[in-house]
Amino acid sequence: MKKSFSKFALALLMVGTLLSGCEKDAEEPNEEELITTVRLTFTEVGGAGTVSTFTFKDLDGEGGAAPSVFNDIVLAPSKSYNMSIALLNESVSPVEDITTEVSNEGNDHQIYYVTSGANVTISNLNNDAAGLPLGLTSTWTTGTASTGNVTITLKHKPGVKAAGDAITKGDTDIQLAWPTRVQ
Amino acid sequence: MLIRITTLLVSVFISLSLQSQCTLQYAGKITDGDTKEILKGAVVTLKDVGVKALTDSNGNFMIKGLCAGHYDVIISHVGCQPLLTHIHINDDYEKWYELPHAVNQLEAVKVMSHNINVVNPTEIKGAQLDALKGLSLGETIKNIPGVSLLQTGTNIYKPAIHGLHSSRVLIINNGIRQEGQQWGNEHAPEIDANLASRISVIKGAGTIRYGGDAIGGVVLVEPKLLRLVPGIGGEVNVAAFSNNRQLSIAGILDGNLTKNNAISWRLQGTIKKGGNSKTPQYWLDNSGLEEYNFSAAVGYKKTNWSSELFYSQFNTKLGIFSGAHIGNLTDLMTAINSTTPPDYITNVGFTYRIDRPYQKVQHHLLKSKTLLSTGAIGRINVTASFQYNNRLEYDKKRFQSSEDVPQLDLSIATAGLDIIWDYFGHKKMKGTVGLVGSFQDNQYSRRLFIPNYQSVNGGGFITNKWTISKWAIEYGMRYDYRKIFNTTDNAGNRFSSGIYSSLSGSLGAAYVINSTTKLSLNASTAWRSPNVNELYSDGLHHGAARIEKGNANLQPERANTFLSELNINAEKWTIETGAYFKYIKNFIFLQPSYPPQLTIRGAFPAFIFSQTNAALYGFDVSLGYNVSHHLQVNTKTSILRAMNKRTDEWLIQMPADRYQGEVTYTFNNRTLFKETYMRLTAQAVNQQKRIPKTGPIEISRPDGSIYYAADYAPPPQAYFLLGAEVGTTLSLHRKDYSIIISASNLLNHVYRDYMNAFRYYADEMGRYIAIRIKVPFAVNNNPKNKNK
Repeated sequence: MKKSFSKFALALLMVGTLLSGCEKDAEEPNEEELITTVRLTFTEVGGAGTVSTFTFKDLDGEGGAAPSVFNDIVLAPSKSYNMSIALLNESVSPVEDITTEVSNEGNDHQIYYVTSGANVTISNLNNDAAGLPLGLTSTWTTGTASTGNVTITLKHKPGVKAAGDAITKGDTDIQLAWPTRVQ
Repeated sequence: MLIRITTLLVSVFISLSLQSQCTLQYAGKITDGDTKEILKGAVVTLKDVGVKALTDSNGNFMIKGLCAGHYDVIISHVGCQPLLTHIHINDDYEKWYELPHAVNQLEAVKVMSHNINVVNPTEIKGAQLDALKGLSLGETIKNIPGVSLLQTGTNIYKPAIHGLHSSRVLIINNGIRQEGQQWGNEHAPEIDANLASRISVIKGAGTIRYGGDAIGGVVLVEPKLLRLVPGIGGEVNVAAFSNNRQLSIAGILDGNLTKNNAISWRLQGTIKKGGNSKTPQYWLDNSGLEEYNFSAAVGYKKTNWSSELFYSQFNTKLGIFSGAHIGNLTDLMTAINSTTPPDYITNVGFTYRIDRPYQKVQHHLLKSKTLLSTGAIGRINVTASFQYNNRLEYDKKRFQSSEDVPQLDLSIATAGLDIIWDYFGHKKMKGTVGLVGSFQDNQYSRRLFIPNYQSVNGGGFITNKWTISKWAIEYGMRYDYRKIFNTTDNAGNRFSSGIYSSLSGSLGAAYVINSTTKLSLNASTAWRSPNVNELYSDGLHHGAARIEKGNANLQPERANTFLSELNINAEKWTIETGAYFKYIKNFIFLQPSYPPQLTIRGAFPAFIFSQTNAALYGFDVSLGYNVSHHLQVNTKTSILRAMNKRTDEWLIQMPADRYQGEVTYTFNNRTLFKETYMRLTAQAVNQQKRIPKTGPIEISRPDGSIYYAADYAPPPQAYFLLGAEVGTTLSLHRKDYSIIISASNLLNHVYRDYMNAFRYYADEMGRYIAIRIKVPFAVNNNPKNKNK
């Protein structure tokens, strides 16, 4: 019996050595590019340069606590806006701007805007390096007063992005049905 | 073969006077050297004169009318090594012999061949196992009635017994309870099936020795025993598969150093590599796998004790079919509504390359086992073990510039000590009493799925078996204690601790109706404490497209099981039937919760771990009929019904009714080719229609109307598969080389299986052909050369 206890101790020692060999670095790179925040910035074209910002924020990612901020998009009727989208990871400090990565790897990504109910036309999406639509910036033209949604979808399609891709192609990284009011 | 008589314990020599007439008698008693059991039906042969005698039920034999002189004696018995001895008699002679047990040298006593079994494990070994080489552990046992597979794609297979799996099924690998991340549906057992020389499944009862929480059952994986005969030998198993161009090479080398001190050793290793699998119509992108395993064992055996040290390492990298990696519900519904994955996924061809997403798993097991004889009445087993498991899960990269790091990194270390006493001193009763304990430490880094925790487990058990004429009665009791503490996440949040303890027990009886028929009945009660994922998980389960929330208030499950088995083993017929009823109080399951939860990827249905009472019942039937000496027909049936008793609805994700049939034609043995056979197999799996009627998942019909379901898609259609197998054993230079060629899904049928999590995305594998070759070899089998 004593023998096997000493063997057990030896066993632990051996595996201990093995484990320390596999031990991870204390300092780890960020687990993944968690997108916690989507911020839409609207600048009125030709107006007084009014800037409005609307935000979605879910700091702990999917699951856990519910999103803490989800502003309705509110735009004035019969106007034209330049819209730029910012994707952030606010769960880390300093805050990480993921927009640049989407922009740098624009040929793997595409943002789609689909309106429903709201009287808004979205056009003039910016292009990636290959000349295919990317959608980090766009022009929003409002019509008469109305209420509905604009669904903003960020698709990830490494290596397969092509002209005229349907929205179903690739994996969805973001899909937000954004309540939108033209008033 | 050289036989030693070092195990003699008692020797009574009666020498009175010299006699010259041939009226002497030679008498004795024969027992099993390991178990001390009396051996009935052992054959004692006097070689020179050709006289034979059989032992009676007390193990006694007698040969009368012998002349004085020298005789060579052979004593043999099924399951034991034959004993060769030499006697010189000049008077009546009496001696007690102990036969060394052939199959149980360093192993615990299990079931003796002449015993009445109360618990009837289903075993896969020998030729049956040879025909399954190169497959994962799950696939190896999937044809056992009552066993089904919980599948994730084409290379993650988890065994389910009577519909229960994960932490409800215990896997005992080489005597040690496997401690990996077994709670996960897509976490396959981290075990090299090539190490096993026998895999047994115990359904329902008789699992007290292995753990109180084996609510579903136990899978026992046992390696080849250490070599007893001096010399060095080995075996190479090669298996090649056509579909994913997989090659598996497994080698084993074992030796016994000296003949007196019996130091034996064994080295074993497996290399396995497979590429993309192919459905009948398209390749499954990124479905390759790699596996590298090895183990080493050394044993030392003396008369009164023996000791064994074992180490094994398991490494695998499993590709996850890229078409099953979805971002959100919209993607999932797109995948379900299109009958095949999109072009840009099916356009890929064959490759061995494994890309992200993939899983990378490593498992270490170190164990020492010492057996101490406690005289003729029993034996103590002391087993110490250490396991370390590391699981890395790599999702698809969001950006090419992303770091090549896993999203999930879980490691669990477990140290265990078991002290078990097997006693068999009493004529009619034998049993086991034991104390077991373990300490476990679980750590994660990166994404939180289950928290860090430590746990202490302790338990004690006793089982006894009485055999009285045609009856055998077995009962057992066990107490287990489990404490989960230091439960934290890496952000510094602390979760509550949990302490759980309770009793489990079993009572079984078997009655031998006649020489061919046996009936057994078992009742057992077992409990399982809630798992850490059931208590604390909180997040999106990507594969299942749902948010899973733990529930810290869960109570342990209690399962009460009744199992009755009828076994008939007649000349023409082999019938094994088992009917079971299992009532699980506080059955832990994922309860849909309204409303869906909003995330940046859209809204996902949320599920909370909840409890209900569940009833599972059904039967497993295996029927064999020998039409002739050559032709054999076998069928297997597995039927399960599983109900949520609180809502009176069917439980989700339970295997459908399954039927298998096979016809085997065995040819006469030739000088060169032995055991040549041809086999045709068929498998029919029904559509699972017993599913919950409603759930939280909103599904649009083609006409635009909406309904609520428990699942994203209805269970797949029933399917029927054909297979074929031919095998032979080539005898060359006294060695048996086995060659088996088999074809699965012979008709290249397109189907999906309800128990496969990837049924939403792609079809199952198409036709594949496997060739398996077993090559035994001997490095040195001449004991004289090794005997220094």
